[in-house]
Amino acid sequence: MTAPVAHAAEAGAGADLLFDEAFLRRLEQLELASRRLTAGRMKGERRSVRRGQSVEFADYRNYSAGDDLRQLDWNVYARLERLFIKLFVEEEDVTVHVLVDASRSMDFGEPNKLTFARRAAGALAYLGLAHLDRVSVAFLGEGRALSLRPLRGKARVFEVFRFLSEPRPERLTGLAAAARDYASRIRGRGPLILVSDLLDPGYLDALRDLAGTRCQLSVLHVLAPEELDPDVPPDARLVDNETGHGIEVTGDDDLVDRYRARLGEWQEELATFCARRGGAYVSVPSDLDLADLLFDVMRRRRVIE
Amino acid sequence: MIAPLALIGLISLPIIVAYYMLRLRRRDVPVGSTFLWQQLVRDVEANAPWQRLRFSWLLLLQLLIALVAVIAAARPFLTVSSDLAANVVLIVDTSASMGTAEEGSSRIALAQAAARRVIGQLPEGGHVTVVAADDSAHVLVSDTDDRAAALAAVDTIVATEVPGDLTDAFALASALAARDSDSTVVVVTDANADRLPDVGIGAPVQVERVGSTDANQAVAALSLLRRSGGAQLDLFVAVSNPSALEVTRRLEIYADDVLVDARDLRIPAEQRSEALITSVPQAARVVEARLAGNDALAVDDRAFALVPAAGAVRALLVGPGNTYLENALALLPRLELYAVGAGGYVDAIDAAAENGTPYGIVIFDRTVPAELPDVPALYVGPTADGAFGTVGRVVDGPALGRPDPADPLLRFVDISTLHIGRARAITLADGMRPVVESVAGDPLVAIGRVDGRGVGLLSFALGDSDLPLQVAFPLLMSNLVDALLPSTDGILPPSVELGQPIAVTVDPAISRVAAVTVATGDRVELDVIGGRVTVPGPRVIGLVDLQVVDDGTGAGGDSLGRTSANLFDPGESRVTPGDPARIADLGRVEPAPSGDGLTARSEWWWPLALAGLVLLLIEWLLFHRPTRRAVGRLLRRVRHSARQGASAAGGSR
Repeated sequence: MTAPVAHAAEAGAGADLLFDEAFLRRLEQLELASRRLTAGRMKGERRSVRRGQSVEFADYRNYSAGDDLRQLDWNVYARLERLFIKLFVEEEDVTVHVLVDASRSMDFGEPNKLTFARRAAGALAYLGLAHLDRVSVAFLGEGRALSLRPLRGKARVFEVFRFLSEPRPERLTGLAAAARDYASRIRGRGPLILVSDLLDPGYLDALRDLAGTRCQLSVLHVLAPEELDPDVPPDARLVDNETGHGIEVTGDDDLVDRYRARLGEWQEELATFCARRGGAYVSVPSDLDLADLLFDVMRRRRVIE
Repeated sequence: MIAPLALIGLISLPIIVAYYMLRLRRRDVPVGSTFLWQQLVRDVEANAPWQRLRFSWLLLLQLLIALVAVIAAARPFLTVSSDLAANVVLIVDTSASMGTAEEGSSRIALAQAAARRVIGQLPEGGHVTVVAADDSAHVLVSDTDDRAAALAAVDTIVATEVPGDLTDAFALASALAARDSDSTVVVVTDANADRLPDVGIGAPVQVERVGSTDANQAVAALSLLRRSGGAQLDLFVAVSNPSALEVTRRLEIYADDVLVDARDLRIPAEQRSEALITSVPQAARVVEARLAGNDALAVDDRAFALVPAAGAVRALLVGPGNTYLENALALLPRLELYAVGAGGYVDAIDAAAENGTPYGIVIFDRTVPAELPDVPALYVGPTADGAFGTVGRVVDGPALGRPDPADPLLRFVDISTLHIGRARAITLADGMRPVVESVAGDPLVAIGRVDGRGVGLLSFALGDSDLPLQVAFPLLMSNLVDALLPSTDGILPPSVELGQPIAVTVDPAISRVAAVTVATGDRVELDVIGGRVTVPGPRVIGLVDLQVVDDGTGAGGDSLGRTSANLFDPGESRVTPGDPARIADLGRVEPAPSGDGLTARSEWWWPLALAGLVLLLIEWLLFHRPTRRAVGRLLRRVRHSARQGASAAGGSR
């Protein structure tokens, strides 16, 4: 029972990112789904497109001079009198990319969307580290991506937690520019999970850039309960948390119904976009319990196996 | 509409609408981003000070509330036919029984409500006179068509403690009704007054009977007498129960506000129980009988009695013997009569002085001693000069002059049939005044003070007249003794009825007196005219003190006497409402012919006010209604908290 205490002490200011021991153990039982096979740099626990030294048979090929004779399938030679080399699946690591939208619009809601996003990102990063994957965590803000160098091994999780607890929301996001910045710096391929409310005019550009990295894109679309089901007073001025710009509305049932309809259309548009690019779209209210998100919602959406 | 000026309030309607159209200062509501909202509200985002009016239930309700309030304030009314005539005399009974407590209210409050209804039913152009009637009539508002003034007058009505007498009120109503042939007299009463006018009036009489309870008991009599030569005080108390149920009431006796006796009296229905109480202390001055607990009418649960002065006055009758005179004097309760012959007068006076029991008054019958007494004396048929004056010639068959009937000495005395066979012409001494004179001016009856002592005179022997055979004889003797022997209890009677004025004779030297109600401290100053003054009848139960008013300072001085005022009125104590037909029958049976077709205003602002209240409630509920979304959010928060709690519990395990 000392592990959580140690986590807390090492995580320092990341009090919000604390996870209890039971939660972390359950995380270890999960595995980030990697339906798209990718080539890694080091041996890991994931299947690689390369053929390697594992015990899992993959295929045959004709022998050519210089091949390792230990890989010859002598049983086939006895039956067919031809030399074939047995190919085995090479198990390698992948790079898990966890991107957190750090815009002002995320610093809103009850529960706070950014807090929720940081905790979700921490949990996803822990999952990757626990399965010996390389994990890259980054904040998207003000036209650039502030990322932590890729880490590997469960012991590095505290660096991730510390990193996630440090940054503050940026005044202006420029989500598309930040996503493009990160996409341009991607080296290792693997799952890419974007945690964002996507309340930015350039959200489609951002998604296109990220999907274009050939990483397996998953979008955790985080919205606060008051954004999913707003309560607008009869005479109100809605003030944008990001820009400070206000718009006057007359809050009645008609307006709210139209808002909800527009929100539904938007979410459907996002889901379709992700599906066409082989990605996953998960709409998440910020009051959703993190365990439910990881063990239920994301498993059902095949983001986690 | 009675108050059409209130319709000015209708300008509030466009103001409310303008309020909705005006772009008001809006409440800032932070949102994460206006990214989605901007696509929805482009049409309403403008800088104009006015916005398009949109339908709102709140606006509709507020307009309705304002409209209803304004119309109600204008006091709308319907025109209905009225049973009342154009001239209404409204008599409200305020006698003691109207102070009866009714369930959740009082009888006088019910009467006020009934009076308000009558005023509300006045026909258009009708006018009303409001009269409060206790033992007399009091006009509260006269012949007015101002309903507000009439209602305000009704609000001032309170129940009194005096017995009811509708005679004055009906006389007044009759006079008022006589001025207008189209008149109606409405009497609001419990209809249990015993004193009603003997003759009817020339206008229809409607009776609004109020009250229902009969649960009342009363102190019906209270009398205090000295027995055994003044050595013992006997208090007689009677408690009546006019109700239909037998009750047991606790009777408490207070002497000078100290409880001296208490006992339970079982009183059968519609009967009375009596008690003789001998435990009143000798030194007590005022005795109060009180019924403990509550009943319908509180005012008759108390009664007061003054303790009479100790002992009677010893009187000495000197003369040859006169049965008539002896009997008349022996009847007087104040006198303890002794008789002696003319020769034994001196010895009797000396013996009395030696025994310490001097005589308080001496009556000389046909004799005048050489040595006059130093106490008040009455001379009957004197034959020699005395303190009264000088005896002259014999006057045969003197004809009686016309005495002043208001002279206190002739109170209740009728001497119109008196015949005197022979009298003596007497020249009165200084200080004497004739009460009855002959036509020739010879004094026949005289009274006065000589040398500081009271002196009375009958200038004829009783045997020379038919006075002893007259009813007036014992009354005249009583008045003469009262005049010669001022009561140690004062000049007031020991007990009076509430509302009954008291005529008293005082020293002519006194010019002004004051009647002080002890319980309330109310003080009424009265002028004394010719040694006589009439004290207004007491209005509240308790003691009344008559005081001399100092001419210089105007302050109250010596007490001339006290009296107790009580409500010993069976009619008022019988609080059961009576038969209204007794009163209605006093009016003209036929309705006023010109009353046909009269209309009255029936105001209906109160349903509007009620509707406005309901609308206000609906508007409030609508404004603070819990929206479907708010309920949903609340449920989500509860679920979230529950999950976090469960997660924390799992972690701790």
